[in-house]
Amino acid sequence: MIDAALQRFIAGAAALGLHYDFLLSGGEVRSWLAGMAMTLLLVVLAIPLSLLAGTAFAAALTSGRPWLAGPVRAYVELTRNTPTLVQLMFAFFALNMLLSRALGGAAHNPFSPVFWVVAVTGLHVAAFHAEALRGGIEAVPAPLVEAAQATGFSGLEILRYVTLPLALRTALPALVNNLVNLVKLTTIGSAVAVNEVTYASIMIWTQRDNVLELMIVILLFFGLINLTVSRIGRAVERRLAVPGYGVGYGV
Amino acid sequence: MAENPANRPILVDLQDVHLSFGAVEVLKGIDLTVAKGDAVSIIGPSGSGKSTILRCINGLAQPQAGRITVAGIRVDALRSEAERIALRKRIGVVFQQYNLFPHLTVLENITLAPVRILKVPRAEAERHARDLLARVRLADKVSAYPSALSGGQQQRVAIARALAMRPELVLFDEVTSALDPEMVGEVLAVIRELVREGLTSILVTHEMRFAEEISDTIAFTENGRIVAQAPPAELFYRSDNPRIRQFIGGFQGFRDAVQDREGI
Ligand SMILES: Nc1ncnc2c1ncn2[C@@H]1O[C@H](COP(=O)(O)OP(=O)(O)OP(=O)(O)O)[C@@H](O)[C@H]1O
Ligand SMILES: [Mg+2]
Repeated sequence: MIDAALQRFIAGAAALGLHYDFLLSGGEVRSWLAGMAMTLLLVVLAIPLSLLAGTAFAAALTSGRPWLAGPVRAYVELTRNTPTLVQLMFAFFALNMLLSRALGGAAHNPFSPVFWVVAVTGLHVAAFHAEALRGGIEAVPAPLVEAAQATGFSGLEILRYVTLPLALRTALPALVNNLVNLVKLTTIGSAVAVNEVTYASIMIWTQRDNVLELMIVILLFFGLINLTVSRIGRAVERRLAVPGYGVGYGV
Repeated sequence: MAENPANRPILVDLQDVHLSFGAVEVLKGIDLTVAKGDAVSIIGPSGSGKSTILRCINGLAQPQAGRITVAGIRVDALRSEAERIALRKRIGVVFQQYNLFPHLTVLENITLAPVRILKVPRAEAERHARDLLARVRLADKVSAYPSALSGGQQQRVAIARALAMRPELVLFDEVTSALDPEMVGEVLAVIRELVREGLTSILVTHEMRFAEEISDTIAFTENGRIVAQAPPAELFYRSDNPRIRQFIGGFQGFRDAVQDREGI
């Protein structure tokens, strides 16, 4: 049944001059599907990491404590202004190497290439989240913060219950944008031989010379992931919408 | 110490409080006394330091000199933020601009602090919040968002929110100044009732008639000093301070009342 459909698809595509016959070879298909699964895994790990770290960075940036805000500001500027690919290379070839040496050999180093890809892409996008959230936190009117202080909330409680929820509402469109970029950014994993979907595809097309065929599928695949990310973002926006504030403002 | 006719314990006592913002001296020796159960109004020209006095009382502003005692706590001696937070839990504040949390419903606005700060069980906090909303005559607005309420309604929610912490003292800072005239009455009615029930309060206000009606004493501030603190009748009709007479005379409607009593 599925085989028949596949045969028909391959024949139809061939009529258009596209060669998908590699889909019939078990090994290549398996590694290709594994690549898609790896991309999804990277996305699913890096998104929450970016959001958690971005929130923590925003909290540090708005803490009013120089010893906390200073280093985070430096990190944010560094990561926003240098290529992510270079950051990954640095993390994987320099940091990871030093770690291996310190731990007495690569065999004792628990950090895999997948770990570094998730960490670098997640923390890179976290810098952008932090800037968006910081803007939202600083946009909360000072008298509102003073009212919370007067009630007896601590600085951290004000962040958690007042300024961050409000900042989230104003920053949400920017955060979704950042996440869409994050999804695309996972392809740099190919540079350190993580078998995500582009790496898996390169392995196939160097053998078969079917770049166009695979490209079409890669583009559709990322389009689908990001469509989902945007959809979820819009749903969250609607759920959080408060008449008279943030994304709901002026509507 | 200022007069205390009923011999009630003193809840708030400021002695010779000085505060500067940089080179600008804003409070130049403030003395103020509030007995437990009293309502004390602070009146005076704009920029004379009224709001700053309130902010000193709950530790949001820290004077350079002077003694501030609230419920036995030496506020000026508090050094850590944790100590100041402990103080603020016992003092309610209602602001001119309501400052309700825009992303929370009326009920959530009122229960947030009791649940998160005092760790009151949510069900109990909600029961208390509904009682308070009934008292400020907004029982039907439990699940409304602030933006859906009129200014007067928002301000009454803000009062309920302050009361939800069961404060020993409530500070009202020009709570009717941002309201349309037709909403002033509904807010003052709520405050009047609270004062009658014995709530200790300090009210910064421009509502002279209201201040006269509800206050045990009225303090007149000018240029960083409290020029006088006295019962309303004394301050309004028997003061021989020309600045006080001029300030009070400047309020419409009051001039007539003053003149009536003076037989002019
Ligand atoms: N954080 C601050 N930094 C510098 N100056 C301040 C600050 N807060 C208040 N001031 C100044 O202190 C003076 C007293 O301010 P305050 O707000 O206490 O006056 P007020 O009597 O409440 O006036 P209003 O009736 O206009 O509310 C004003 O001149 C004001 O500009
Ligand atoms: Mg003021």
